[in-house]
Amino acid sequence: MGRYILRRLWHTIYVVVGISMIAFFFIHLSGDPVMLMLPADASTQEIEELRQKLGFNDPLYVQYWHFATKAVQGDFGESLYYHVPAMELITERLPASLELAVAAMLVAFLVAVPLGILSAVKRGSFIDLGSMLGALFGLSMPHFWLGIMLILLFSVKLGWLPTSGRGGLSHLVMPALALGMSLMAMFARLTRSVMLEVLNQDYVRTARAKGLKERIVIGKHALKNALIPLVTVAGMQFGFLIGGTVIIETVFAWPGVGRLVVQAIFNRDYPLVQATVLVLAVLFVLVNLLVDLLYVYLDPQISYLEEK
Amino acid sequence: MSHWKKFWSVIGIIALILSLFVGTATAKKDVLVVMQEAEPVGLDLMRSSIQTTMSVCYNIHDTLFAPQEDASVKPRIAESWEKVDDLTWKIHIRHGVTFHNGEPVNAQAVKFSFERAFKDSLKNPHKGKLSAFKEVKVLDDYTILITTKEPYAPGLYILGYYLPIVPPKYIAKVGDEEYNIHPIGCGPYKLEKWVRGEEIVLTRYEKYYGPKPAFKKIIFKGVPEEASRIAALLTGEADVISGVSIHQRKKILASGKAYLTNQMGVMPYLGMNTYKPPFNNVKVRRAMNYAINRQLINKALFNGKAILCPGPISPRTFGHDPTLKPYPYDPARAKKLLSEAGYPNGFETRLAYPTYMSQIQEQAEAIAADLAKVGVKVKLEPYERAVMWQRYKARKHAMYIYWWDDAPEPDRYVYSLFNSKVRDYYYKNPEVDKLLDLGRTIMDRKKRAEVYHKIDRMLYNDAPWVFLYVIPEVFGVSNKVEYHGRRDGFLDMRTAKPKP
Repeated sequence: MGRYILRRLWHTIYVVVGISMIAFFFIHLSGDPVMLMLPADASTQEIEELRQKLGFNDPLYVQYWHFATKAVQGDFGESLYYHVPAMELITERLPASLELAVAAMLVAFLVAVPLGILSAVKRGSFIDLGSMLGALFGLSMPHFWLGIMLILLFSVKLGWLPTSGRGGLSHLVMPALALGMSLMAMFARLTRSVMLEVLNQDYVRTARAKGLKERIVIGKHALKNALIPLVTVAGMQFGFLIGGTVIIETVFAWPGVGRLVVQAIFNRDYPLVQATVLVLAVLFVLVNLLVDLLYVYLDPQISYLEEK
Repeated sequence: MSHWKKFWSVIGIIALILSLFVGTATAKKDVLVVMQEAEPVGLDLMRSSIQTTMSVCYNIHDTLFAPQEDASVKPRIAESWEKVDDLTWKIHIRHGVTFHNGEPVNAQAVKFSFERAFKDSLKNPHKGKLSAFKEVKVLDDYTILITTKEPYAPGLYILGYYLPIVPPKYIAKVGDEEYNIHPIGCGPYKLEKWVRGEEIVLTRYEKYYGPKPAFKKIIFKGVPEEASRIAALLTGEADVISGVSIHQRKKILASGKAYLTNQMGVMPYLGMNTYKPPFNNVKVRRAMNYAINRQLINKALFNGKAILCPGPISPRTFGHDPTLKPYPYDPARAKKLLSEAGYPNGFETRLAYPTYMSQIQEQAEAIAADLAKVGVKVKLEPYERAVMWQRYKARKHAMYIYWWDDAPEPDRYVYSLFNSKVRDYYYKNPEVDKLLDLGRTIMDRKKRAEVYHKIDRMLYNDAPWVFLYVIPEVFGVSNKVEYHGRRDGFLDMRTAKPKP
């Protein structure tokens, strides 16, 4: 098991090196930050001076080498716009991103899993139909629209919640709900279909035949198996949520990493883009490793022990 | 319990839980909350040329002069001044002014601030604007001589914007990087805290030398989404918001909770590549000016609030020629000119524009539709900011839309846009170059205006652009607050006060 984890961590290094190269070359091919950093009336000489100072006149592979040698020492350079170390900006924003991602996941799970189970157990019933329709609705609602509707309802009409920003729990409710909605819908549908499959399995029939209570059959025997695909999807989604919630972050002025990196891309803030992409890649890989390890707990048949 | 009862009790519980989280949105009378599109990237005015950043900085930092809307200046840290000769000003600094940490604002601090602006490691984006200045000499603790390399008429105005006076001792102690995060200025507000990504809190500097601002605290927040900013204004969470597009303005007015200021503006223009056919022919360029129905665009897109520009100098700017009238919409004349230029059936061309400009898509489409009516088929090319700029510099655009702020001082932009020493990407006119070089050296205001009239007329006739309009931009302001925006668009909040 330990060796498995070590091997997976070793793979992470490949991923990180690969991602760093892709991020580096793509962002460098996409435009010059110097002209964006200077005001519109800057002279050619000023532009040239700044370019020289920032090392953008070196060949690309030399620039990558400079970046890589510093990056392995933990130095990702200074943001061209904020003039502070890129890593500092990311670590400031990461808690907000994690907070929102966890809250959205929680909202999604707490509603979707019970709903999915209920739909599967009462298949074809009014509840099943209603919740699956609701799920379809949730999936097809754009984040952006939902976010603004929530603001109009809860802030402007009712005056219950603040419109935007990060602060106490009251600030978290709407972004988490807006972000959690489509996940909720996806998880509910997934839980239902997996549960339906599992409920037809022999071991469920055996459990029922043993005279176990339906609650135990579903809650213990069926659900645990149904959770495996759910955890896989949730893991992937969680990685995505940390960096990919730009729209929700924009609507609610949530100070997360997603908006930081998109803004950095628009500004061609090379160091910040590179550092963020790397941090997000590492997080993504780690979350997925965690998911793989969760399988072992959920299904003892899965094992990462080395075959001898 | 029936299903419905259960349902409603669940809703009730959720509402109860939500109500526990409800914050008190009521803003106190002495706190002003300002929401802009983005938070600042730093708080040192010498390190950024971004509007949202500079806006916050102007509350913390003061300069020697207060620039006025007619391009003149009024005293600020400079109490009085006199012209020694065409190259030299003698400036008397106000006594008893202090930085927020108690350091005195004196001649040495001004000299330090001036020299710091040119420091390489600072990468000051405003360095170019200050390049006409040569040096600052300290005569005594409160008197300086500031000299320029050549006579430079807009000099004091430029100093009023781009030379914040900064504390030498504090900067020597903390360094430039730290100063950008924790600045000490001598403006009406001092920095209390900056929670990056969330808010910047400024408190009134009680020992400020000038008129005492009405609000004790100003909170700046960056809220990128317009709908969210408007919602915040309507709920009372925000007192002043920037970036309100035309279509949203009715909503604010209809709410009865806020009003709009109508001060600042940007001036979009449609440039043409005069080095290549067909736009190397002045008849074609004039035809373009006659072919576009700017009156209609103004009515349809800007509720008639835009100001049509006759020439390159905005009608609100010092130096514009008041005798010029905007090109009328005259497609027949446009067609005639095109025929004379050898394009009786029109031609095909491209129109590039930056996607981040507000309402640009609608403008570009309207322009293309008008041009199609005179036989000019336009392919629209929307570009993201960096790509647009890169192609601009590489002279790859045929027609392009860019804009400049509607600045009161003509030298600020006409020089930048038309002097071929600064940029000759799409147009060059040695005669205009000469006049632009002359214009900035004439110290007499009336004689100076005459030079700019000439420039305005010359460019009007040569038509390197389709002269479009100035779009008034607005701030949304809560009915509880009295605030009139500034023409430069900076959110300097020292004049804001609660309504009685």
